[in-house]
Amino acid sequence: MRRLGSWRLVEYSSTAIEVAGSVAAGIAVGGAILALLGYDPVKGLSLLILGGFRDVDYLLSRATFIMMTGLSFAIPMLAGFFNIGAEGMMYLGGLVALVVAVYTGNAAVALVLGSLAGAALGLLIAALKVFRGVNEVITAIMLNWTLHYVVIYLVTARFYDPLAPHESVKVPKGARLGVMDVAGGRLHVIFLVSLAAVALAYYLLYFTRLGYEIRVSGLSPKSAKYAGISPRRAVLNSMALGGLFAGLSGALNVLGFMYYIDNLLTSMAGMGFDGIGVALMGRNNPLGIAFSSVFFSMLILGGQTMQIVMNAPKEVADTLSGIIVIALSLPYAYRMLVSYLRTRRLVRGD
Amino acid sequence: MIEEVADLGLLALTSMVPLLLGAVGEIVSERAGVVNIGIEGMFLLSALTSVIAEYYTGNLALSLLVGVATGVCVGVLHGAISVYLRGDQIVAGVGVNLFAYGVGVVSLITIWGTFGNSPSVPTIPKFMVLGRPISPMVPASILIAVGTWYLLFKTNTGLRIRACGEDPRAAEAMGVKVLRLRFLSVLYGAALAGLGGAYLSIDWVGQFTKEIAAGRGFIALANVAFSGWNPVVAIAGAYVFGVFDALAIHLSIVSMQPALAYLFKTIPYLGTLAVVVAFVRRARMPSSLGKPYIKE
Amino acid sequence: MGRGGGEAVVMKDVVKVYPDGTVALRGVSLRVRSGEIHGLLGENGAGKTTLMRILYGEIRPSRGEVKVFGRRVSFKGPWDAIREGICMVYQHFSLVPSFTVLENLTLSMSSIRRASASEVAERAREIMERTGLKVPLSEAVESLAVGVQQRVEILKALMRDARILILDEPTSVLTPVEVRELFNTLRRLKELGITVILITHKLREVKEVTDTVTVLRRGRVAGVVRTPDVSEAELAKMMVGREVVLKVSRRPRKPGGAVLEVRDLWVRGERGVMAVKGVTLSVREGEILGIAGVQGNGQRELAEALAGLRRVEKGRVLLMGRDITNRPPSEIYMMGLAYIPDSRSVGLIMELNLVNNSILTRLKRFLGRGSRVLWGRALSFTNRVVKEFNVVVESVRTPVRYLSGGNQQKVMVGREVASGPKVIVASEPTHGLDVGATEYIRNLLVRLRDEGRAVVLISTDLDEILQLSDRVAVMYEGRVMAVGRPEEFTLERLGLLMGGVSA
Repeated sequence: MRRLGSWRLVEYSSTAIEVAGSVAAGIAVGGAILALLGYDPVKGLSLLILGGFRDVDYLLSRATFIMMTGLSFAIPMLAGFFNIGAEGMMYLGGLVALVVAVYTGNAAVALVLGSLAGAALGLLIAALKVFRGVNEVITAIMLNWTLHYVVIYLVTARFYDPLAPHESVKVPKGARLGVMDVAGGRLHVIFLVSLAAVALAYYLLYFTRLGYEIRVSGLSPKSAKYAGISPRRAVLNSMALGGLFAGLSGALNVLGFMYYIDNLLTSMAGMGFDGIGVALMGRNNPLGIAFSSVFFSMLILGGQTMQIVMNAPKEVADTLSGIIVIALSLPYAYRMLVSYLRTRRLVRGD
Repeated sequence: MIEEVADLGLLALTSMVPLLLGAVGEIVSERAGVVNIGIEGMFLLSALTSVIAEYYTGNLALSLLVGVATGVCVGVLHGAISVYLRGDQIVAGVGVNLFAYGVGVVSLITIWGTFGNSPSVPTIPKFMVLGRPISPMVPASILIAVGTWYLLFKTNTGLRIRACGEDPRAAEAMGVKVLRLRFLSVLYGAALAGLGGAYLSIDWVGQFTKEIAAGRGFIALANVAFSGWNPVVAIAGAYVFGVFDALAIHLSIVSMQPALAYLFKTIPYLGTLAVVVAFVRRARMPSSLGKPYIKE
Repeated sequence: MGRGGGEAVVMKDVVKVYPDGTVALRGVSLRVRSGEIHGLLGENGAGKTTLMRILYGEIRPSRGEVKVFGRRVSFKGPWDAIREGICMVYQHFSLVPSFTVLENLTLSMSSIRRASASEVAERAREIMERTGLKVPLSEAVESLAVGVQQRVEILKALMRDARILILDEPTSVLTPVEVRELFNTLRRLKELGITVILITHKLREVKEVTDTVTVLRRGRVAGVVRTPDVSEAELAKMMVGREVVLKVSRRPRKPGGAVLEVRDLWVRGERGVMAVKGVTLSVREGEILGIAGVQGNGQRELAEALAGLRRVEKGRVLLMGRDITNRPPSEIYMMGLAYIPDSRSVGLIMELNLVNNSILTRLKRFLGRGSRVLWGRALSFTNRVVKEFNVVVESVRTPVRYLSGGNQQKVMVGREVASGPKVIVASEPTHGLDVGATEYIRNLLVRLRDEGRAVVLISTDLDEILQLSDRVAVMYEGRVMAVGRPEEFTLERLGLLMGGVSA
């Protein structure tokens, strides 16, 4: 009976160890790199971690985008599907939102259509895998690069701003999502939208049939089929949702933050992949993702602060994130460690 | 016109090399049961280190080796995570790519103080074929592919490697040290990826840029599946994808509008996608691919 | 290494504790004489396979000593054991399915010494000659019959100069004819001086072919006897530790009308071949129909077709008069048929808790407006199942994988039964369970039948079939060989029918 009561302990403690351990590993390596490059690691790390808080609005706004791309990785992952196409979905969503906003002047319509464009892309990737057996990693990467160049082409050749040719046309004033006053400070509306999106995702996943089928299919496709649930349908649904949120990320970026797209896609580039780290750290749970996206945003902005203050390269933050992701891929190792310690205890006390 | 086509055909040979090396190495790794999507990151890192080595030593052979060694080092990491620690192979690969990108840019800044490209370095001497410079790496990579085919299908070692990927439990019971053999296969793949990355910077382009890999690691992955996990077929596959690449480069140079260059750049990716979609035969994947081998 | 010479294997006070806390062996000692056929008898979970896996070097003991042919050994892996001449043949074979027999043999030999494929083929033929074992060298293993695959395994062991052969439940996948052939092979190997350790839970087989028996019970040795000196009843008592109540009380009952009818059913199997070939059956309310047969003769495909999980190519299935042929499973379950699959990892989702698992097969009943999941309703249903079926669990929010096998089975069975189905298709419901849980499930099935439901019981356990069923059907290669009351079948006749001989 000793086994029964302790499952919660094992599960929660191994999750805690995994997350804490990965972060610790990342910090350790980040500090080492700083030291190697000749900077003060302590000062650098503290700037890295705390520097983001000098502008909370900016911090939360940035977190918005990776919160959405985090959802876009997490939801298909729960269905057992690997979605690394968030970059392409984001670019597409952003472009569609821009064009729709310019032509209709309506932010809501632009948001919706941008998100739907992302959803369509997600469905495409899923359909190719489900019906033709094409590996989703390859499809996603190919589409990412394709859309990267296509969007740049459109921004520079067709939708450019004649006064600033390296930028696209701007979102008309009436279609912009703005800023509001909150508790003595200001906050971008997009952050609230992202919180609403997270709540929606949580509801869908844990309180609806759709979410139940996604989770069951991901955990045990055989059991799903036994119950009459179609894992294929669950995958398609999950990718539609995944694409929706990634498209939303791009749309929010354009309509509520930058108000244009530049010809190097600097405002959006890389956030699709950041979303993967966010999702991993948030354990593919929408609520966890809300927190981990703020954490990652903190790191990114901390990196920028560190660069301004100490002249250290901000890509150290990227490297740090990379280490955290690698460390988070070791769930078995942690579980093994916890069990090993318990077994030692049991055998000795035999 | 014929000259253009011939020229394109030869240029495709140049593009083929990294795609072939990456694919052949990954074929061995996947035949043993381990998938490595960090090939892209390995290309990037070894391209970087071999340029650094060349910049400071001027010794091309050494720099090539440094590139291979870099691949092996990353391979040790990926192998340790995927094989011994039973980690999630795909996620680990993604981590490698992120890490490599970050390190690449950081190094550019700290060593040369630039954000885009490293300075140019001398490249491997070429020999001339029909007026075009062709690197010795072209025939070398083809030889490596054929040699790997022989290894996998005509030797006992190859049989053991394939067993690890099909049914590791059975292989272990028959005396194959599955974990060790899988780890070594990962290193083999990593070494070839390192070679491919070194080729990119000190043979083809002549410098390191942060965009030097440009998705080639993933095209190599597409080639693995396309070739049905057969190194010899991978030669044909790599050449086909190389043609797409060559076409994109050629059109960007030839056309006058700079903006259109962006559209041309999508050719390798759309082409790869089209090929993969059209030719996805139900070629048998190694049965235990991607699943960590857990004993107890 | 002749007969009656020294001791081939001595294991002393072996203890094994698994990383998750289970204690598999609590100080077991074993002595196997060289050149004998030694039986290792025990129920599921007694520790027999664990003990042999330690001998074979697959796992390390937590404590204890192992000696092979008088020498103390400490194996780091099977390769060490193989070098000492120990070979193990598992229930699930160690063969790479997609490779040919020759490739598998070559692979196996490649760990011992350098040999080309032709050298391997040469030696294989030589051994086949000497022992009478015959296998086709150039066929892919996955296309061979199970009995032939087993022969490949034995050949593989002999090619490695095995002096000790360990067989783990070798007969569970064989027809009676194949079992006889296997035992003849074992006797021939004994004449050649090879020591055989036979892991089994079948008393009859132990009596038939072994010289000595070691009985394990719950990780300890319950007894060591010479086979001629002991009876099956005595062995059973050692295995279980009490007088075995082999009979389940079943009052005769008059069954009602037919609730499930299967008419000329044809169903395709995994490889595209027909697995069910024109089966016609009917089951009445208040009746248990037992389907006997060796695993792999179409029983699973039949059950899956009934549940809507497999396509019916030809024929009809009628549930209470309504045609359910090829309807989706969710519909069939709602219409009153419950299917309990033979694998808990299919019927349950190990990572999810009891509440999530209890709504799995009839999700519609727990959905509100807009496809919202009514967790309150799910919770009360789960609590009901836990109470009614005595599931031992701390909280219904515990992930199912932390429960014991017996409790998991209760959750799966309880979920289905509590939904009030008219027909229950149960596949291997007591497989892998301890005696207590087995008794519970069997009594439950009889209770269901007394309540007027119809039960289709698919089982490879003949005792179970004969005790519980009101009528028995025997399946062989997709066809029903015979149907009748249990009294009409002797074990003899059953064995013949299961082996394909009309009797």
